[in-house]
Amino acid sequence: MSHWADAAADDEDAEESLVRAYTITQGRTASARDDLTLITVITTAAAPRDQHADRGLQPEHRLILRQCRTPVALAEVAARLNLPVAVTKILVDDLIVRGRVTARPPLAVTVGEEPDMILLQAVKDALLRL
Amino acid sequence: MPYSDSDEHQAGNPVSADTVAAPAAVKILIAGGFGVGKTTMVGSVSEIPPLHTEEQLTVAGLGVDDLDGVENKTTTTVALDFGRITVSSRLVLYLFGTPGQERFWFMWNDLVHGALGAVVLVDTRRLESSFAAIDFFESRGVPFVVGVNCFDGVRDRTVPEVRDALDLDPNVPVLMGDLRERPASRDLLLALINHLMAGRAPLPTRR
Repeated sequence: MSHWADAAADDEDAEESLVRAYTITQGRTASARDDLTLITVITTAAAPRDQHADRGLQPEHRLILRQCRTPVALAEVAARLNLPVAVTKILVDDLIVRGRVTARPPLAVTVGEEPDMILLQAVKDALLRL
Repeated sequence: MPYSDSDEHQAGNPVSADTVAAPAAVKILIAGGFGVGKTTMVGSVSEIPPLHTEEQLTVAGLGVDDLDGVENKTTTTVALDFGRITVSSRLVLYLFGTPGQERFWFMWNDLVHGALGAVVLVDTRRLESSFAAIDFFESRGVPFVVGVNCFDGVRDRTVPEVRDALDLDPNVPVLMGDLRERPASRDLLLALINHLMAGRAPLPTRR
């Protein structure tokens, strides 16, 4: 069986097509979890001791692992991989299931609570430093 | 919970030493009609060049066919430009430029979730292109400020005129500025934060 990665690298149309994106996800169009958001922060976990632990990962999975050594929001992962957010969520979910990345949900800043003054002050200080 | 690096010594050590603590993220939405300067504003304050991605969003059905109790939903794809401001090692602020047209109203439900608030950009020549965003944020209780983008310093309307034309609540801050300039964009974000801190902003309702 030929792997999609074996396709001619200069085939630009194939690179852009949805077929390729959903080949990466092995046909899945939605993540099994719905708690990943644009600003969920993804961090690569410590490398597994078992050298074969990452067997079966797609090249895109490995790119995510490399990129998230420094914690980064899911939207940024998607943008840098040039993949739709929906596809990125599926790939990140795969890595969460394997314990290869951790995901930090966004702060619940607006959900029916008083504004968090400490948080707002920190944001304000950062803006004043710009 | 402290978010400044300078608070580090007070924080105790809740995280085990071998884990890199990921920062938490918050976001602010930059809304407004096409060509009003959303990406320009993101770019002028972001520490990285604006990034681009596509998000697939759920469109709730209109309910006509819901007799059998099955939710009628479809998805659509929306382009987003965004940037980042690192607040500290514990907190990162993302700025999302979001399409402001009325036909995208459905996506704002997904996007406002977890947002501190919003900046609505307006072009005085096409004020009506920002009506949909303002209506939406008002109805959802999302705190927002209005920025009038004045390219090349052209100010053909006064703040009271804009406020009047948009029928804004008197508490909603309105600022004018050339959003290609970092200070103008920063001041708009600061106005939003001050608005939130003043507690005059209505609290968003729970989803």
